[in-house]
Amino acid sequence: MLGKIQKALSDNQAIKTWTIRHETIHGFQQYELKTSTESQREVTSELFTVDVLCDSENNEGKPGSGLGTVSLLPGADINSALEKAVLTAQLVHNEPYDFAEPAPIPDIELADHDYLEDPAGKIRGVLNTLKEITGSFPHVRLTAAECFGQEKTTHLVSSKGIDATQKDTQVYLQWVYIGGIGDSEVETFAEVYRRRISDLDLKEEAALRAQYTSDLLEAQGPPSYTGPIYVQGPTLAVMVAGEMLAGSLFQTLSSAALKYSGETPWDIGKSIFRGDVKGDDLQMWANRQLPYGIPSSSFDNEGIPAQRIALIQDNKLAAFIADQRFADYLDRKPSGDFGSIEIPAGSIPQSELQAGSYIEIAEYSWFNPSPVTGDFACEIRLGYIVEDGKRKPFKGGMLVGNLLDALADMRWSKETGFYGNYLGPKAALFNNLKVVG
Amino acid sequence: MGKKILTPEMSALRPDLGEAVSILEEKAPYGAVSLSSREYTRYLVDNNQERVMPGEPTAGVILTAFDGHTMREKGVGGFHRDELLKGAKEFVSGIHFEKNGKLDPGKERVEDFQTEMEHDPALVSTQDKLDYLREMNQRVKKIDSRIVNARVSFLEMREKTVFRNRAVDLAQDVQRVHMSIMVTAMGEKGVVMDWASKCGTAGLEVLSFSDDDLEKLVKNAVGLLDAGRIEPGEYTVVTAPGVSGVIAHESFGHGVETDMFVKERAKAAHYVGKRVGSDLVNIYDDPGYPGAFGSYFFDDEGLPSKATQIVKDGIFVRGITDFFSATKLGIERSPNGRRQDFTRKVYPRMTNTFFGSGTMPLDELIGQVDDGIYIPKVSSGMEDPKGWGIQVSGHYGFEIKNGVLTDKIYAPVGLTGYVPDVLESISSVSNDFDLSGGYCGKGTKETVPVTDGGPHLLMKVRLG
Repeated sequence: MLGKIQKALSDNQAIKTWTIRHETIHGFQQYELKTSTESQREVTSELFTVDVLCDSENNEGKPGSGLGTVSLLPGADINSALEKAVLTAQLVHNEPYDFAEPAPIPDIELADHDYLEDPAGKIRGVLNTLKEITGSFPHVRLTAAECFGQEKTTHLVSSKGIDATQKDTQVYLQWVYIGGIGDSEVETFAEVYRRRISDLDLKEEAALRAQYTSDLLEAQGPPSYTGPIYVQGPTLAVMVAGEMLAGSLFQTLSSAALKYSGETPWDIGKSIFRGDVKGDDLQMWANRQLPYGIPSSSFDNEGIPAQRIALIQDNKLAAFIADQRFADYLDRKPSGDFGSIEIPAGSIPQSELQAGSYIEIAEYSWFNPSPVTGDFACEIRLGYIVEDGKRKPFKGGMLVGNLLDALADMRWSKETGFYGNYLGPKAALFNNLKVVG
Repeated sequence: MGKKILTPEMSALRPDLGEAVSILEEKAPYGAVSLSSREYTRYLVDNNQERVMPGEPTAGVILTAFDGHTMREKGVGGFHRDELLKGAKEFVSGIHFEKNGKLDPGKERVEDFQTEMEHDPALVSTQDKLDYLREMNQRVKKIDSRIVNARVSFLEMREKTVFRNRAVDLAQDVQRVHMSIMVTAMGEKGVVMDWASKCGTAGLEVLSFSDDDLEKLVKNAVGLLDAGRIEPGEYTVVTAPGVSGVIAHESFGHGVETDMFVKERAKAAHYVGKRVGSDLVNIYDDPGYPGAFGSYFFDDEGLPSKATQIVKDGIFVRGITDFFSATKLGIERSPNGRRQDFTRKVYPRMTNTFFGSGTMPLDELIGQVDDGIYIPKVSSGMEDPKGWGIQVSGHYGFEIKNGVLTDKIYAPVGLTGYVPDVLESISSVSNDFDLSGGYCGKGTKETVPVTDGGPHLLMKVRLG
């Protein structure tokens, strides 16, 4: 079918340039309850997505470019679909731009070859391992778990001469630990996306969640507090890099599209912070080349090769992240999709960051700062008051602040970790945040 | 079944579904076959760009085999007869099912349904849709010079579903529309934004915005340039219908989806028949609510839509179910079995979830507040089914002084608390009602369209 679509596109004189993305997906899903399997699913799908760029004119006759997109399932009527795409493209008026030119495409590691040997068996294996590990935590019980595995092959061809293929895998695992009995029960819910099963870090993650569950049973009410806040692991990764599939404040404010529309206050060479930096200087990369990063790819949907972009250097914005269109508008090199956030290791060992008195935020209900201002007020699911080396768990209350102000006054740990869309310090100490009890 | 509401491919395959069900039930105590086609297109016009973005369509067959213990499914893209019948045989051939007699397929029913519309978006040209968005963009951006962008977007979603089991042969063609206007303003302190939206399971007729709507939107957006942070603490709060709805959604919505009961994740499981809020609290979920964005005619397991009262006069009555969890718990099913698309399983999911209205006029309700906060709009919420914590992020809030709403604005306004405390604190319920549409996930996945709503509520909660 790919060849037929290519021919139909080439034969259509109204189309200036085009790309075709052919994706095939095969996945397994298993859902476990405490003592039984709730559901097993197997899914296959295939889709061709075609982008066409045509010349268009606005109401005043000013020439421009219009994009039309259409998705075809196998067996679909190619000609009528392309007619629709061309019609749409000719009705949409934008400043002129072009599609991506061919460029060398790096070979980024995206697939778990171990998973590909026996997908269904490996997914069952993950769940069995989780059950075995849980057996060593006497105070918690595993009441539900879901594990999905997916293999996706993407073949992209374009009239510009791009012809590239990539295969990736993704593993999703969620589980629930319950502690206590009856009305006093507590739970911890974990959700992890990775490309490789080995990156799930099952042993470490399960131990951490089991500890949280046990501590929730002892948790008191929240304090009212202003001072140092310690955050580590996946909780820190979400603060900096955002939820796995939603993106971050950095992704929003460094967008070339928002720069073009005047919706971001950030500018190249200027500090991203509102005031002086009192802690570690911020260095950050937007890295689509990160091996096994969830947002990584060899090429994105436009065919733009993976890059590792220096985004913030010494607290100053170093680049905007641009697709081909906004790169053309702003006269920059296209970077393509954002990728993962990478931050270099700090200089202080975790043990030193934890030397004084502080509050640790272990879990939020949802860390969701405003995507344009960074202001947040998030409920605390589990925290610890740490004084004289003793840890007292608490739950409830809110952490209140502004993410950019918080990052301007903090220290990063020397130890680093990888959490799917974040590679960087494993822990951070924010010097001055507020907990509202 | 006279109307052509399905795609030609779905119509061609539908007569064979009964045979496929029979093949499944040669081995499984219960078999079902669904055809699912979901398409959507988003149109966007702002100050700098125009786009028409069709989403990736999903279309496929779902084979379901259930023995009362494990729900097994196979989802295959496309609609092909040979693959359907051969696939059904292969699917059940290697599975050992628990002997469980024949599971109840529900009441016999053969019917087709289609969303009633005055203006079917499928019959309106792309040109006309874009022209309408261009006009809206022009209307908004000329209101105030501090507006740097006015992003107008329109979404049309078409869901066509066939569900077939031993007793049921149903089809539905559901049209959803959603339009939003997002305004970005720039000032000395930075960038702020606000939005307004309208939606429904309907045609284009529900998407009009008056000049007053647009002026109010711009006024609020520009007002945010001078917003302060609220001093954290406990406040007397009035929530607008959309905010009230998110409280219902996060408290007795997610927490009473009965897969949570099966997974031992729901504190509510211990509170059936017990008080969870003040006498004024009534919470419903209704997939049949006329024209609402979360509505449908039957759920993804073939159960016809009807309302479920979750909380009655402050007492928790029951949860919302899918087939699996209702079977497991031995309770009556509610029509809440929903799947994102054919690639995903069914879960018990909310549809249109809302507080029931009261009797008090809104001005009288606000008039009771000497010193408090009015929260008109919500940006997000998060559930905590086991701990009964609640987090609702208000986009902004206005001060209420001596029973009167002032222009003093705070942003953002986070609302948190312990669910029974929040619901018990509700002391007045207005006589108005509205629903706001959006999308809901389970964890970070399984997205489905929903609405939340109700009347204005007066309560005491912690803000920050």
